[in-house]
Amino acid sequence: MNPVLDLTSPLGITISLTPEIVLSICAMLVLLVVSWRHKTPADSRLAGWLSVVSLIVTGGALAWLSLQQFESEGLPFMVALDGFRYLSSALVLVLALASTLLSIGYLEREGITAPEYYVLLLLGTVGLMFMTASQDLIVFFLALETMSMAVYVLAGYDRRSPASSEAGLKYFLIGAFASGFLLYGIALLYGSTGSTNLALIGAQFADRPIPGMGLIGMGLLLIGFGFKVAAVPFHMWTPDVYEGAPTPVTGFMATGVKAAAFVAFARVLLSCFPQAAPQWRPVIWVLAVVTMILGNLVALNQTSLKRLLAYSSVAHAGYLLVALWPGSPLGTAALLLYLVAYGVTTFAAFGILSALGTGGERDITLAEISGLAQSRPWLSFGLAVCMLSLLGFPGTLGFIGKWYILSAVIAEKNAPLAVVLVLTTVVSAGYYLPVIMAMYMRPARAPLVYYSVKLAPAAAATVAIAIIATLVFGFWPTELLNAAGASAASLLNGAASAVAGR
Amino acid sequence: MQDFLFGLNYNTWILTALLVLPLVGVLPVLLAPSASAKHIALVVTILEFLLSAGLWWAFDPTSGGIQFGVVAPWLPQWGINYRVGLDGISLFMVLLSTGLMPLAVLGSWKYITERERGYYALMLTLTTGMLGVFLALDLFVFYVFWEVMLIPMYFIIGVWGGKNRLYAAIKFFIYTFLGSLLMLVAILVMVWKVAESTGTVSFAYADLLEHSPQLGTLAPWLFAAFFLAFAIKVPMFPFHTWLPDAHVEAPTAGSVILASILLKMGTYGFLRFAVPFFPEVALSPVVTTIVLVSAVVGIIYGALVAMVQPDVKKLVAYSSVSHLGFVMLGIWAGSLQSVQGALMIMIGHGLSTGALFFLIGMLYERRHTREIAAYGGLARVVPMLSLIFVVTSLASIGLPGLNGFVGEFLVLLGSFARHPIATGLATTGVIFAAMYLLPAVQRIFFNKLDNPANEHLSDLTPRELWVMLPLVFGMVWLGLYPKPVLSRMEAASKHYVELTQPGRDRYSAPSEGIHAERDR
Repeated sequence: MNPVLDLTSPLGITISLTPEIVLSICAMLVLLVVSWRHKTPADSRLAGWLSVVSLIVTGGALAWLSLQQFESEGLPFMVALDGFRYLSSALVLVLALASTLLSIGYLEREGITAPEYYVLLLLGTVGLMFMTASQDLIVFFLALETMSMAVYVLAGYDRRSPASSEAGLKYFLIGAFASGFLLYGIALLYGSTGSTNLALIGAQFADRPIPGMGLIGMGLLLIGFGFKVAAVPFHMWTPDVYEGAPTPVTGFMATGVKAAAFVAFARVLLSCFPQAAPQWRPVIWVLAVVTMILGNLVALNQTSLKRLLAYSSVAHAGYLLVALWPGSPLGTAALLLYLVAYGVTTFAAFGILSALGTGGERDITLAEISGLAQSRPWLSFGLAVCMLSLLGFPGTLGFIGKWYILSAVIAEKNAPLAVVLVLTTVVSAGYYLPVIMAMYMRPARAPLVYYSVKLAPAAAATVAIAIIATLVFGFWPTELLNAAGASAASLLNGAASAVAGR
Repeated sequence: MQDFLFGLNYNTWILTALLVLPLVGVLPVLLAPSASAKHIALVVTILEFLLSAGLWWAFDPTSGGIQFGVVAPWLPQWGINYRVGLDGISLFMVLLSTGLMPLAVLGSWKYITERERGYYALMLTLTTGMLGVFLALDLFVFYVFWEVMLIPMYFIIGVWGGKNRLYAAIKFFIYTFLGSLLMLVAILVMVWKVAESTGTVSFAYADLLEHSPQLGTLAPWLFAAFFLAFAIKVPMFPFHTWLPDAHVEAPTAGSVILASILLKMGTYGFLRFAVPFFPEVALSPVVTTIVLVSAVVGIIYGALVAMVQPDVKKLVAYSSVSHLGFVMLGIWAGSLQSVQGALMIMIGHGLSTGALFFLIGMLYERRHTREIAAYGGLARVVPMLSLIFVVTSLASIGLPGLNGFVGEFLVLLGSFARHPIATGLATTGVIFAAMYLLPAVQRIFFNKLDNPANEHLSDLTPRELWVMLPLVFGMVWLGLYPKPVLSRMEAASKHYVELTQPGRDRYSAPSEGIHAERDR
């Protein structure tokens, strides 16, 4: 019997939120340090390393909490205590840690000496962790806004670059727009059920058809989430924001933010509307197909690597929607696994791109990396592995992810969706391969300045670990598969038992 | 010999050793100084060949089932295990691959001058990939090898290829990738469908083969996916358009491997997977008609297009389309003779077309052109090269006494009873073969020596002779005394023919050989 945590008591709720509380306190402490020391690059470095320590401590707290295997008593409360939360929080933390390590060298090179950057990153991570934990629409919404506020500023952090400012503003406007949809959807759901708790809403809809107001609420939530995960047709902000934002921030948005958004999406959908699958499945199906097709086709035309990766992330949102479509344990496990695969690989890709930009953020085009393999063999090898993993090539984590998604879809007998997925994957070879081609098969250009730019040691180590993980887990994914499977089961069982307990 | 090998437990470790050895060799190749990369690669590939040569003696020709089977867990919860094994069909594909690799390395000796370490490392990786395709008996493992092998070839064409290499490389990649991803979907559908009735998820070849009759109405779709993947690889007309580009742009050894081994993966896939899984669909009148028409069109079209090529490498590339048409005809005729004939062509085409590509590469290294018109009268300048080229061409055409004849004869003989019209039309391909290859030989090696650039070419060096002699030996041997080869493939071919008998209930089939691998 697992220990029971009483979530009605202040102590219980505090314990259940240990990692979030630890991280919030750490963020405040870093802010305190920064308010005295924010003048020199050394101060900035200090803030960066303090953030690294904060994230590691938070990771420890999270590990402690997950090892206790608490169960909540009685009716479900505002935060979940399940493996789904722990695994996705861990993923978000790892991605935040990686982004921080990447930023330390990057900010210094770009001459951005404003250590508040790290505080924002930490606060954004707090928001992300709450997003993965929330079991209540209000908590979710507040978490989302906490995260968004931090990321709006981060996207526009490079004040001297108009593109960065544009990115910040665009992300803010679109984010506000999306929040409107979400909030209105929440309001309608509250109107039709009298609750904002996911499990309670789910229990209400368990044995009766969803009324019209509830359905509209669900639709508005879908639209809101569509913006957040950058699914077509709600993706228009992605390329500009990803291109304009400082590269480590882009990496953070493309991986951490997207992962948390998908996790929350899955939790809302599978806890609130498990019985309404016939209603939402076709919507997700269409969204997934359109996203995969458009994301991949438009990416074919990109020459700027950051834009290319931006559209690729749209395409991957499509694959992730495919994983969401079955709503089964296998599908949810595939979603988590793919988030890990996509997160690790995309982070590494952006990390490598950040090594190629220099003095004043700039676009890196395909033409500029031609012949890169001769001057920077390791960097090129890393980027090649990333491209193959994003392509879903065997031997990489990306393939394991795609295989799992395909299995989940096929187990639910929707081969057409699987076929669309693989056909669009073939299309994606048309833009991932040219990156490899440029580096390895085209003649080297006259040496450019940034051919000699090195990643800072910490960042280089992080990227290297990500690449190695991509390869190693591509061959031995058993542990990851088990973890994803177990945590997906915990979400679905939780939802089912909440319904049954009523 | 057999006792000695079994004393070493040869049958338990050989296949894994064959798959691992080249990968082990990659490391020293990458770490060694650039100049010695090729030496290391040569040693590794020769070692690999010597290891595999034992299979010839250790193989039990009386068994039509899987031998040397090994099973080790990989992702057991998902029914995925490392399962490898070999029968009379894959035996020769393996020997062909391991035998060609040292020659491919030796043939690249002077041709590859840039980034040698990478090149030879990729060659070794490619070896593992190819052998894995022929040895895998788990569909997931098969798929992984099938795809992984793409990357080294993609790089070999793209980095060391000719002028138009980028286009050729990406075309090669995307064509194959398209087919194989659809095959992946088909594999997964099959596995889930079978799991529904048996309750266990398994990617094992034997399990899927046993339960494939239950696929019912899905079978045509699944077959179509497998068909597309393999047809692109063969390549069957009209999926052949990647082939001339890839062959012409690839460096010599790349073309050799493409023609000799990679194309055989397609026909091997039909023999091992597509037809035995879905015999009712594959041998239904509609599919048979489609395949036969496409095979015959391929035979004739390939020959006709080869006839008008000014570029000798392209000529040989198109001739492959023609030869592989015979193989498809033999596979679909489904008699013991025709299947054995198809296998013989697969081996023979590997030797003679591989040899032709080597020879063209040698000519190119001397004159830096592949235009037939640029040559003429070479027989007087380079007698040895000319002699070998003529012998190889005759083997490719199918002159009795050389390897090409045996296979084509068996295919035509074995197919005539069932498909007389297609066989009759295919026979013209033999004549066409003489019509495209002999004039080219004449214009290159005979006629007048009218181009002064051709007057001072050097004949084959000892290294080049070492590349060519094993191939010539193979061609003559297979042509004069094919019995040891035929007898080793006979039981497996019979087994294949049994598997594809229409309407047969596969539960009671005497497929003990296939199961032996699983029970071990």
